[in-house]
Amino acid sequence: MKIYLTKQDHTYYNDNGRILNTLYQSAMQNQAESATATRPRQTGRMLRRSLLQSPFADIIQFLALLSLSAWFLKGAVRDSGYHWQWYQIPKYILLLDEQGFHAGPLLLGLLVTLQISAASLVLASVIGLATALMQLSSSLVARATAKVYIESIRNTPLLIQLFFIYFVLGPVLGIGRFPSAILALSLFEGAYAAEIIRAGIISIQRGQWEACYSLGMTAFDSYLTVILPQALRRILPPLTGQAISLIKDSALVSTIAIYDLTMQAQAIIAETFLTFEIWFTVALMYLGVTLTLSLMVRQMEHRFRIY
Amino acid sequence: MFSPELQPQPPIVIADNLCKTFAGGIKALDNFSARIDRGEVVVVIGPSGAGKSTFLRCLNGLEDIDSGSIIIDNIVLNDNPANRMAIRREVGMVFQHFNLFPHMTVLRNVSIAQQKVRKRSRKEAEHISLDMLAKVGIADKAGSYPNHLSGGQQQRVAIARALAMNPKIMLFDEATSALDPEMIGEVLAVMKDLAREGMTMICVTHEMGFAREVSDRVIFMDNGKLIEEGPTVQFFSQPAQARTWAFLEQII
Repeated sequence: MKIYLTKQDHTYYNDNGRILNTLYQSAMQNQAESATATRPRQTGRMLRRSLLQSPFADIIQFLALLSLSAWFLKGAVRDSGYHWQWYQIPKYILLLDEQGFHAGPLLLGLLVTLQISAASLVLASVIGLATALMQLSSSLVARATAKVYIESIRNTPLLIQLFFIYFVLGPVLGIGRFPSAILALSLFEGAYAAEIIRAGIISIQRGQWEACYSLGMTAFDSYLTVILPQALRRILPPLTGQAISLIKDSALVSTIAIYDLTMQAQAIIAETFLTFEIWFTVALMYLGVTLTLSLMVRQMEHRFRIY
Repeated sequence: MFSPELQPQPPIVIADNLCKTFAGGIKALDNFSARIDRGEVVVVIGPSGAGKSTFLRCLNGLEDIDSGSIIIDNIVLNDNPANRMAIRREVGMVFQHFNLFPHMTVLRNVSIAQQKVRKRSRKEAEHISLDMLAKVGIADKAGSYPNHLSGGQQQRVAIARALAMNPKIMLFDEATSALDPEMIGEVLAVMKDLAREGMTMICVTHEMGFAREVSDRVIFMDNGKLIEEGPTVQFFSQPAQARTWAFLEQII
């Protein structure tokens, strides 16, 4: 490899023309500080650097990216030849008649999605915690049961689990659509939550257990006051991800004719053929719910940061 | 009639023929026996891997012994969980790495087990905690979280946490080994106070100065076996075993 030296700007180049001057440059900069002749060039470089690192540069970059995306989207929309009717959308969210505002089908569907998600979230947490504790217990039966549950749930499709619970177990247990959907979602997400919770628990140092035991605390009290509170802080981020998955997966309950957000969307599209407008709106509504959840958890994490 | 004070009391710790082999075939305890009297301060020394810590951890059931017997304050340490819990209530332990609960304030660290195990009310537990924290000299840190304290302060909190349970015996497992040199003194001072008050103490330590000054008896272990034991003065001035000589020469 050849190295070229150009005297004027104290820069090394290799034979690909790449600048090799980082070390040399910093040495030269020190030297230049004492030499008044090179000062204008020096200040110019510093100005350039500070401009690049200022918030203005970030804003400009962001705007450039945004306008590029907009331009691309606009082109795609124009070329698709699709007849957009966004003005049709509001009435499916909120209706206004003589008696005032009513929730439109999409809002009603969102409410159902929220109900199912909230109930499943609670149940999935309980199932996840119980399964994690079973995996860590000394009982062989408990460990084996937990293992079989986790592996069978994680390695089969949710859709088939949902059908199985609704069409096969439902009649046997005497449960209807709603409980079936909640049970299926909870069992599915609970299996993933169990692995997250288990990882959180075993990540707590053995010394914490030993301190509890040396003080005469029972395993139950140790879990409740020392181990789980610390584990919760660590598993909150992955657990939030799992909760977001649950909300998105709840769209599958539309397959057993529950009128959740997705089902309402399908119904409207079947009537109106507003395919893209409705689906984009629905996606935005899901996004709103999951973003709210993320922000709430972010707040919780801040509260945890006191120690 | 004998007055009760003159009746010889049985040792508070009776450990006979303890054997413990870890996975991988390392013999941590090899037919090791020890007896400790009430109010006695015993220092256990020996090279690393000698089984000193394992001995302490077997005493309160943090490790299970393979064979042998442990009787503490007339309670047999066996498979019965109730006995194990009863022993743990009477035996306090201080660890090399403090093992404070990082998500609780200092006050809560000291109170929580009192409430859960001794069934004290929160108010009563916190009152006792503040007394104990004052005793170890850090009552002003009651509202802090452990991670905001120095190592020496953390270890003193750990001592207060164990003392608040009113144990009959205190086990110190290399309590000063993880500390910066300038903080060892403050922890040793607390331990010395405790010894002077008549607490029964078993200390695994490398602080020979502390051993000479405070302990009544020294136990020297190597390879899980008892090599030599004796009253402190005699142990340091005229050890009987060649191996004890060699060890003392290395560390003093």
